[in-house]
Amino acid sequence: MLEVRDVVKTYDGRAVVNRVSFEVRPGEIFALLGPNGAGKTTLIRMITDILKPDSGTITLDGRPVGGGLKHEISYLPEERGLYRRVPVLDALAYYGRLRGLDARAARTEAGTLLERVGLEDWGMKQVQALSKGMQQKVQLCTALIGSPRLMILDEPFTGLDPLNVQLLEEVLRERRAAGVTVLLSTHQMNKVEEQCDRALMLNRGHMVLYGEVRDLKRRYADHALMVRAGRLPARVPGVRMVESVNGELKLTLEPDAKPRDVLRSLVEQGVELESFSHSVMPLEDIFIKVVREGLGLDHGQSGPPTADGLVEQGAGAKGTGR
Amino acid sequence: MSFSWRKARTIAEREYLTTVRRKAFLFTVVGTPVLYAILMTLMIRPQMGDRARQMRDFRVLGVVDSSGVFAEAEKEIVGTVASDFSVLAAQVSKRDSFRVAVRALPDQTEGERALRAGEVSQLLVVPAGYLETGRLRRYAISTNIFSSQDERAVTGWVVRSLLRGRVDPQRVERVARPARGMELFTPDPRGAGGFEPHDERREMVDFLLPFAFGMLMGLCIVIGGQYLLQGVAEEKESRILESMLCTVNASELLAGKLFGLGAAGLTIVGAWIAMGALFGGPVLALAQVHVQSRILALAVVFFLLGYLFYGSIMTGIGAITNNMREAQQFAFLFTFMNFIPFYLMTSIVGRPDSGVALGLSLFPPMAPVAMMLRLSAPSSAVPAWQIALSIGLLAGAAWLALFVSARLFRIGLLMYGKTPTLPEILRWVRQS
Repeated sequence: MLEVRDVVKTYDGRAVVNRVSFEVRPGEIFALLGPNGAGKTTLIRMITDILKPDSGTITLDGRPVGGGLKHEISYLPEERGLYRRVPVLDALAYYGRLRGLDARAARTEAGTLLERVGLEDWGMKQVQALSKGMQQKVQLCTALIGSPRLMILDEPFTGLDPLNVQLLEEVLRERRAAGVTVLLSTHQMNKVEEQCDRALMLNRGHMVLYGEVRDLKRRYADHALMVRAGRLPARVPGVRMVESVNGELKLTLEPDAKPRDVLRSLVEQGVELESFSHSVMPLEDIFIKVVREGLGLDHGQSGPPTADGLVEQGAGAKGTGR
Repeated sequence: MSFSWRKARTIAEREYLTTVRRKAFLFTVVGTPVLYAILMTLMIRPQMGDRARQMRDFRVLGVVDSSGVFAEAEKEIVGTVASDFSVLAAQVSKRDSFRVAVRALPDQTEGERALRAGEVSQLLVVPAGYLETGRLRRYAISTNIFSSQDERAVTGWVVRSLLRGRVDPQRVERVARPARGMELFTPDPRGAGGFEPHDERREMVDFLLPFAFGMLMGLCIVIGGQYLLQGVAEEKESRILESMLCTVNASELLAGKLFGLGAAGLTIVGAWIAMGALFGGPVLALAQVHVQSRILALAVVFFLLGYLFYGSIMTGIGAITNNMREAQQFAFLFTFMNFIPFYLMTSIVGRPDSGVALGLSLFPPMAPVAMMLRLSAPSSAVPAWQIALSIGLLAGAAWLALFVSARLFRIGLLMYGKTPTLPEILRWVRQS
């Protein structure tokens, strides 16, 4: 388990990461979110022991990450490159050796990984001979080789075509099944909704959201119902506004109205309901809303909320993982 | 911070193998000495050939003698000139003989006409008061700034003609070339206490040996440093380092690069030494050259420290700059400093105990090359305390360079965009 406790990093007196605490469980795909400049890269660099925190602790299975654990962690940075004038197999095997494999095992695993991503015929070609998409798949392989226990992937979907996005998702699921912990930093919120179990959102170095993805969405659900139905009566008790959204009707409720009562009222008035559901705000909208409103800084507290504070507010479900 | 020698060795191995497998490396190993030999051949052989050609073209010397001193002069000038040079043996390998006819002309007007018409190659005008004034005038259509062979031939003719009939022929020859048979004796280089005839080939080797030692030392340090500079700058530019630094720490990366690329630099110099021994070995053996084992041992020490010093600086430069071009601009200053002793070589090799030689061999950026020049100079007797002090200062400077470079390396590798200013660099060193 990766545990980050009260980590602070300041540059020129400004806290880039401020009292951040969270944990990522084995076999979990965890999203690290936040707008540009939120402190995500600095936090990742501290987790990978590239930077040292000013205070706080970061441990992997109870041991500080700076010790002999470097080969247990792999990192695919957002801005990434490869040695261009070496054969693909050699470039990959090199990373394998640095993660503790012997030369033969490193080449064998490199070959297996290339096969997994459909590049088995390109092993002896120089990296510079590969297309950009192919190079991205090789870069992904550098994060996979050596079977690290913690994989940190920063915008891994960028630049991939739909087929390769699907391939990456499959690979991530395979790794999760094998007990590998994945920390995913991305701005593609649909991928977070599809792939991630839990998420942490930073804004200006502070934690502003932390918890299970579905809980976060529930918390930010607007007080509304989505229904697919025939003609609605002119007035429905408890409904403040009706609008059409993507072929469905969105019923925004009065603050004190209960969805159950509204549905009962519709049935009693003879409305033929084909389907109904709670209106859920997409994660992307939650992201924009949180960032725009500076929600984390607007709690009437003296400072930003801590992880515990966020959990108390129902934003997360610490300790209630799947 | 934990340090894994296994990771450092893996990095060193990769850096070494990647470097030596490049075509550019093979070109440096083989191409540089071949290019050097070709350049030497192109530079020296034509000069030798020019001298011989000059004398071959010098067929007739016209003489307008108003003094009457040369009325009974010799009618021909005979001699030899060096015409070829062996670069590998570093000596003249062939001499050509020449003959110049001497033709008396009535006056200067006729002499100038004959010269312009090509009837004579050069014209010597001897004024009436020559014996009193010693003044002569020589006329030629063209001259060669690099050769005075023709002047020497004319001078010899003047000497012989002046003495002809007044002194016996043997004395004439001795006066014409008084020191031709003078042999130079110098102390026995093996330290037997006596003197032995001075060997010209040995003299050439005595000059070339310190030069070669210093040059090899300087090149080895610079080549290794350049590989480091190039490697770090390229990796930074191509954004490889961040994913690397997740798996290895900056110290392991730095150590691996220093070892691997230093070994690549040594491989080049080793190959050059082997090629030199193969082609130049017989000449060195003939000249009875034996390099002292003490100098070889010190060469290794100075190389290691010099490489550590310059390698660290190059790594630091590679880490703080944004691309190869910028890195090269910064690195030039330090590369230049390493070679400054060569510009003062005559002073260092000629007087190894001078203040300049001492100062340069104690100043860390120049110490490796300057001390090698001093140690291998023919009349060298560098005191042990100076060697120890030089090593101590260089070791201290190398440690400081490594310390600063490691800090710059740690921070600079992840900094992109603007090249840092000096205050920013100092802050990085303090903070990291």
